[in-house]
Amino acid sequence: MSAEDQNDEPPLDVNLLKEISKKALVDALNSVNGSKTLVLDPLLAAPLGLVTEVALLKHHGVDKMFWLEPGPLTSSTTNILYLCRPMVSYVKIIAGHIKKHAKESSKHNYTLVLVPRLSSLVSRLLEEEGVLGDITISSYNLQFLPVANDVLSLEYESAFKDIWVDGDESVVYDSAQALITLQKLFGLFPRLLGKGDCAARLINHLTTYLPQSHTPDTLSEPFSNFDSLIVIDRRVDMITPLLTQLTYEGLMDELLGIKNSHVELPASLVAPPPNPQTGATAAPPPPPPAAASLRKENKKKYHLSSADSLFMELRDVNFSNVGKRLNGVARRLEEDYKTSLQSKTTAQLREFVGRLGGLQSDHQSLRIHTGISELMLPITRTEQFNKSLEIQQNLLASYNVSEQISSIEDMIAKGADMETIVRLLCLASITAGGIKTKALDNIKREFLQAYGYNFLPLLLALAAPSLAILLPNPLPTSTPPAISASKLPFSPLRKSLRLLIDDNPEALEELENDISFVYSGYAPLSVRLVQCVAQKGGVLSNPAEKEKSLESSNKAPDGGKVQAHPIVGWKGFEDILAMIPGKTVDVVQNGVGVTPSGGIARPKDKATTTVVFFLGGCTYTEIAALRWVARQNRGRSFLIATTGIINGSSIVDGIAGIQKASAGTKDAGI
Amino acid sequence: LALEEATRMTDPSARITAVKSAQKFFSEDKDRSFEAKMMDESSRLLVLQQQLEAEADGKVPFFGQSVNETIRTCVVNGMLKRADKIKSDFKVPDKRFWYTKLYALTEIRDFEGLDTF
Repeated sequence: MSAEDQNDEPPLDVNLLKEISKKALVDALNSVNGSKTLVLDPLLAAPLGLVTEVALLKHHGVDKMFWLEPGPLTSSTTNILYLCRPMVSYVKIIAGHIKKHAKESSKHNYTLVLVPRLSSLVSRLLEEEGVLGDITISSYNLQFLPVANDVLSLEYESAFKDIWVDGDESVVYDSAQALITLQKLFGLFPRLLGKGDCAARLINHLTTYLPQSHTPDTLSEPFSNFDSLIVIDRRVDMITPLLTQLTYEGLMDELLGIKNSHVELPASLVAPPPNPQTGATAAPPPPPPAAASLRKENKKKYHLSSADSLFMELRDVNFSNVGKRLNGVARRLEEDYKTSLQSKTTAQLREFVGRLGGLQSDHQSLRIHTGISELMLPITRTEQFNKSLEIQQNLLASYNVSEQISSIEDMIAKGADMETIVRLLCLASITAGGIKTKALDNIKREFLQAYGYNFLPLLLALAAPSLAILLPNPLPTSTPPAISASKLPFSPLRKSLRLLIDDNPEALEELENDISFVYSGYAPLSVRLVQCVAQKGGVLSNPAEKEKSLESSNKAPDGGKVQAHPIVGWKGFEDILAMIPGKTVDVVQNGVGVTPSGGIARPKDKATTTVVFFLGGCTYTEIAALRWVARQNRGRSFLIATTGIINGSSIVDGIAGIQKASAGTKDAGI
Repeated sequence: LALEEATRMTDPSARITAVKSAQKFFSEDKDRSFEAKMMDESSRLLVLQQQLEAEADGKVPFFGQSVNETIRTCVVNGMLKRADKIKSDFKVPDKRFWYTKLYALTEIRDFEGLDTF
């Protein structure tokens, strides 16, 4: 259903962005003449894999590739090219390499390519190390990467931690730069809307930098492809990522982990030789440069691409329905094969053979997705998984909070995952406006004893003013006012934005017609906010009913879809927004040549795109919910942009400063 | 506050001193009494783990484990008395202690031990 519906309004050609990234990479490579050794930041390998292939690198004179790691570097070529994010530890390594080579008196030309931009800190550091003179520094501007047709990502894995734990705002700046690039390509955002302090800062960047970087020919064009940009600060809606995602793709991310739109699967699932005919969709992608030799585990990466039509169909469906869908597809395929047996004339046969390739690729992806759901099903049946779901639902309904806390304690005793516990605790703290001091101290103690005292910094970070998602209630008198101001008034919000839909039989039908399907009853706050702007009716009442009434009164007979109303800002929802902590922004942005008469008139039937940017990352469920909203609206499609795709566990891991792999072994031991 | 990052050190004695100094910093701030108490426990645990390692002739690594893991390792290696002592020393609630012990006993397939519950 999603595939066909999305296609009726062709989205912007996001692949253009990919081409730009690719070209920039080639330019960066060609800036060094002759053959060279590429030293790659491991963090960058996967995003780059979305852009390019090893062959392309080879073609541009890359001789050998290494990871950027501490230790000696041996290189046969005179040119060494470093490609990395500007991080202090990397610079130290590079300086170490150079010094070592100098000692061995081997001659090399060094080039450092920083992603996404130059940093004066890096050159300062190099100067301190005394190697600045030996190295050429340039930048490779890697910005938005299309993860799907309607999803762009900067692929910054640590964005959330950078902004809200470390207070490092370079991500905000980089996001602004990337959004400006987007404007240059597709036209100006006529209206900028934002919620949250960091979102406000981002918009501030956008409006102040624009005059410097103007390119009049595109920016002054009155008919922009966009009608607005909505920036949502992750801090505004912390609840959503803390919940367990229940769509197919979301659950896959929760349980198996999706990284740069690749999922790691047991090799047996992907391994049977991909049919050459079907290579385009079903073949495992070329592994990221040089990864194959370094990766020892018996897992294969499987690329989740929009080219896989079955996946497109499944990705946004609630997991409880996936089995049904897969079954349906299997039936259809079987029918198709059967018709081939009945076909008698050669013409019919020829037609069938022509379709065979498509059928086989369907078959292949069906097999893989069945395998994936079989892999996930046992996990969803475990007691732990269901218990945490139950606690989540109860907390959202604010049902008997103290009992939920003691259930969380039970889970600690049973040795549940550290991430799960932290997510539940934070959720409890947000929804209930804090946990009672005594209970909180008690549970923190339990937590530290069960998982190790080295997680104390994690707990402190969660309680720090910038994040404040794990708080005692009532607050100690000495707390700065900033903390109490940043508390989310959850229960009034739940009412006014219809965040929770009851699970009784008559509401179930309603459930199907609302974005809350993604969490089996809870509507993500962030997406509700977007709806406030783009689909006002959907927030207040059941959109399906709305459609009916509109259809009868309006002259819109087209398929029961509401004609998207022009963006008029937060109008009608000011009081609700005022309840949510963080600044609210609404800026009308005019192009250079356009008369400042407010909104830009556009033909009513012209389809526009609204860009939704999640600062600090978004979850797969939010993407699914936004796709759903887009299907309800005629004349508007959403382009989702984010700093990275996250889930609750990745946030917790990020703050705790542990790598996914080590976390796994640590938890397994308990 | 940044000092607790030092707890990630690997060298045993250096780590204990680091944790202790972190505890001192916490105790200077009266709002942080909880953290100070935790750090105190942490250093006590580290010392205890050193003792345990010495007792087991260095064959079984204890150092740097959490309380639960320590109890588990004790049970797995047949040091049941030690496990009980940790329980009382660190005021581990019954529920969690029994779960941990239960899992550990199942792990080593000590069904007699399970029976005596």
